[in-house]
Amino acid sequence: MGAVARAAMSLVVRNLQRAVPLRRARLREKVQAVRRALGVQRFDLGVVCVDNRKIQQINRIYRDKNTPTDVLSFPFHENLKAGEIPQPDFPDDYNLGDIFLGVEYIFQHCKENEDYYDILTVTATHGLCHLLGFTHSTEAEWQKVGAIPCPQHTHTGGIAAQGPRNRGCTIFPLQSSMKTKWRNALK
Amino acid sequence: MLPLLRCVPRVLGTAVAGIRAAAPSLPLLQPASRPCARPFGLLSVRAGSVQLPGLLRPWGPCGCGCGCGGLHTEGDKAFVEFLNDEIKEEKKIQKYKSLPKMSGGWELEVNGTEAKLVRKVAGEKVTVTFNINNSIPPAYDGEEEPSEGQKVEEQEPELTSTPNFVVEVVKDGSNKALVLDCHYPEDEIGQEEEDQSDVFSIKEVSFQSTGDSDWKDTNYTLSTDSLDWGLYDHLMDFLADRGVDNTFADELVELSTALEHQEYITFLEDLKGFVKSQ
Repeated sequence: MGAVARAAMSLVVRNLQRAVPLRRARLREKVQAVRRALGVQRFDLGVVCVDNRKIQQINRIYRDKNTPTDVLSFPFHENLKAGEIPQPDFPDDYNLGDIFLGVEYIFQHCKENEDYYDILTVTATHGLCHLLGFTHSTEAEWQKVGAIPCPQHTHTGGIAAQGPRNRGCTIFPLQSSMKTKWRNALK
Repeated sequence: MLPLLRCVPRVLGTAVAGIRAAAPSLPLLQPASRPCARPFGLLSVRAGSVQLPGLLRPWGPCGCGCGCGGLHTEGDKAFVEFLNDEIKEEKKIQKYKSLPKMSGGWELEVNGTEAKLVRKVAGEKVTVTFNINNSIPPAYDGEEEPSEGQKVEEQEPELTSTPNFVVEVVKDGSNKALVLDCHYPEDEIGQEEEDQSDVFSIKEVSFQSTGDSDWKDTNYTLSTDSLDWGLYDHLMDFLADRGVDNTFADELVELSTALEHQEYITFLEDLKGFVKSQ
């Protein structure tokens, strides 16, 4: 496959739910910006928007957690080192995998002063990082990325604590300068 | 047909065992090889006067005495009884006695198997048309054995009607309609897991003149098979803004399934009446 075709690999957006009205084109635009910022626009990516019932079902099947959550990632390439961009030998392997966005869950936990599509984008980015091998285990891994904001909602299975800021996030927050760099990259 | 059947008693009269009626196109009308006690000309066609076994009954007036002039065979009688039971069962499982309403202010017009949903919003008229004929995907037999404790009947999925539907959008004062042909995914009935398809998809888009009743093949038709995904998402958002979203698509399935079931029951009743000729 030539370089032109590789550059045009697809972002597929699917909306399987009716709980939350969704602007597909707006979500696509935001996720495309994320792909460019991470340098993975050559890779196919699936973003599937589902409701609480569906994401709870997937969470139960694949993580043995019978609760809805905000995002679940299914990587195409396994065992990637954190932040490693795959170097496939075959055109069909230019694929990162699929991200399931629990859009209903995200909407329900979105605060009034928060932009829903910004939160969707941040959550999708978080899922994308998992497709690139990132986990939550070490601060070093997050610092390697340098520009991944901490979503306010955990995807480890639920909200650990109530309150406006502390929602059980188990990953490390960015420094403010890194958050600015990230927001600029998304514009 | 009439002359052929009139020949049958003559064949009976030969009293040869195993003689079959010379009516290869009527396999059910096979008289038994009984010797006929009376000359042919005196054979009566009144009920009970001629001992014809099997499914043959005399040609009109009807041997059962109803006087309808139609053919009433034992097969017809069994058919009518079957239809009676079928109609009763179908009415018992009928989910909606009247057609369900669509949310969002859609007006429904039904013409036989074709239904139209119309909505006027902010200077635009949106019409969604679908036909329930051939709208139920084929059911596939499950390959898995029933799980322990699960009855076989519970595995049978409900039949749902998922018709293709056409959305026409016309702006006030314009004679141009944007027409979008939409389909439901072609999944096997009952398959719910691992489903990552949109609730519905746009297959083709075209402009048509509102004055023309027939589809113009000479107008450019955009196929979404190889369409830029960004453009596709804009088209889906366009439809959603006009009330054709996932909620609408789900409700359309309910409406179409109810209409199809209603038409099926009506058809069975008409069929019963036709076979009975009453």
